Amino acid sequence: MRRYSQVSRHVPEYSELPFWKKAAPMELAYVAYGLLVLALVVASYILGAANLLPRDPQEMDLQLLMAPPGTAGHLLGTDFVGRDILSRLIVGIQAYFLPGLLAIAIALTLGTFFGVLAGYRGGRIDTAITYAANLIDSFPRLVLILLIVAAFKPDIYYIMAVVGLTNVPVLLSLIKGKIQFLKEKDFIEAAIAIGLKSRAIILKHILWYNCRTVLIIQATLGMAEAILIETSLSYLGFGVQEPTPSWGNMVQAGANYFMQGKFWPSTAPALAILITIMGFHLLGDGLNNILEGKRSS
Amino acid sequence: MKLASVRPVALLLSRELAITALLLLGVSLVVFVVLYLSPGDPFSLLLEGQMVTAVAREGMRQALGVPRAWYTQYLLWLGNMLQGNFGTSIRTGLPVLNEIVRVGINTLYLTIGSMLVTLLVAVPIALSSARRGTTLLNWPFTMFAYVVSALPVFWLGYIVIYIFMHTFGLFPILFRFSRDQELGWLYFLLPIFVLGIGNGTISEVVRFLREEMGRVLAEDYIRTARAKGASIWAHSFKEGFLIPITEIIASKIPFILGGAVVVEQVFNWPGMGRMAWQAAQDRDYPVIMGIAIAAAILVRFGTLLQRVVYIMVNPRSS
Repeated sequence: MRRYSQVSRHVPEYSELPFWKKAAPMELAYVAYGLLVLALVVASYILGAANLLPRDPQEMDLQLLMAPPGTAGHLLGTDFVGRDILSRLIVGIQAYFLPGLLAIAIALTLGTFFGVLAGYRGGRIDTAITYAANLIDSFPRLVLILLIVAAFKPDIYYIMAVVGLTNVPVLLSLIKGKIQFLKEKDFIEAAIAIGLKSRAIILKHILWYNCRTVLIIQATLGMAEAILIETSLSYLGFGVQEPTPSWGNMVQAGANYFMQGKFWPSTAPALAILITIMGFHLLGDGLNNILEGKRSS
Repeated sequence: MKLASVRPVALLLSRELAITALLLLGVSLVVFVVLYLSPGDPFSLLLEGQMVTAVAREGMRQALGVPRAWYTQYLLWLGNMLQGNFGTSIRTGLPVLNEIVRVGINTLYLTIGSMLVTLLVAVPIALSSARRGTTLLNWPFTMFAYVVSALPVFWLGYIVIYIFMHTFGLFPILFRFSRDQELGWLYFLLPIFVLGIGNGTISEVVRFLREEMGRVLAEDYIRTARAKGASIWAHSFKEGFLIPITEIIASKIPFILGGAVVVEQVFNWPGMGRMAWQAAQDRDYPVIMGIAIAAAILVRFGTLLQRVVYIMVNPRSS
């Protein structure tokens, strides 16, 4: 996930104008593209879950090995055992959807909880939490995952739990910075003065009114992260295992044929990864600039 | 700010050193706990194919002198490590530390080289768009940064190998570590280039540097400098370039090391990443533990350097 330098020191001002009227057209185009990708991902998930596919993704057609794109009945061609690439692409999102959501959920809950704790309480608790966050940040994510894989088993849910955990420090520091900044503000002081409970102040006035955009943006970027990590791990042979399709293991399996000039089995999933991750990145960046306000220079 | 509250630089630096040492201690504990909690134990492996009873296992444990309490095991392991004994690899039987040092050099070449490539691509884009805003010239480059940051790095590696194989007639099997061969430099440069472009951090470096430089360029002292006709670059260098760039380098070291695991696999580069992969395949605990700790030391060292630069530039911070 990304750390945005400007996010924590900003309180959005109340404005009559809806945000899309104030935003630059380029930012809106980014967000629109991102939302389109998000819709595609959700649609593919539903299509895959409901089994509404052009073909059975596991069905092998041994007469049609490595058929190029555009072959009748196989829009994107077939792979090395004659399975339909388009169907496998659509089903492939299943490999990321729930594990990715798990990673995001872990990062958001733990990050918010410890961020609030560190920011609101400060002192020793803050020191301890910062130490733990630095500890997590000390490990390259892939090395940590390889360690977990060696110690336990290469299960996608384990791996995504580690991805979630390694994303906690970023979220924690964002939330903490935001709270430390907001704590000094008059409206929080006023809330304390009229006798609101800490819980209400934190949940409603800090988290809901001022941190929800940060959480949405980080969730978006978290999905991109989950896909990239799974791809790398599939390449290394620790991700989702064949014959269950994931974009990562499709690129990996197809890459063996790349050198023979048969590029499509690996290019189609690689482009899917590219388009999706760019979508999530641009959505995150666009939302960040629109909702969190870019510094005017 | 009162002058009395400014602490001497030496004190700040020693504090940073102490924090680094403390974090590395924590790192070793985390690595130990992960392996301690893992299912299965080495005794089943040693007693494989024999009648494994609890008594035999206990006898083995005593014969080998393995302590029972986890903290005794941890302290013993830590003590050995501090004396430079990281254990021996289960697969090859070679001492882990020597192996890591041997291949670690290759990983350092790869990571430092690709960091330079990343910066060479990202810094001009960032500075140009910080200075002039988004223009027709730098917008395509910014988009390019987004595109390459979303590419799976090993696929980029395959494309590069494919291109070089076809246009230059070099066969990928030759991408071995061979300095003396003809075109040996190519075997060095290709992986470095691929990791530098494809490690997924270019767009972030561009973004971070652009924001920071843009923020500094909007400051009053830059306006003053501009009014005086002084060099804007010289005035914005420390705050707008030096600090953010060390910060982003330090925070991206883990990503580059992670990317190195994949790129070393693609190019058959004999480095720490390939060793980690092999160790994870074989469940070669001593090696993977050693590599995790070596990687954490590299990351912490990078952060330490960043803190030193930061303190040197701005001693008021503590």
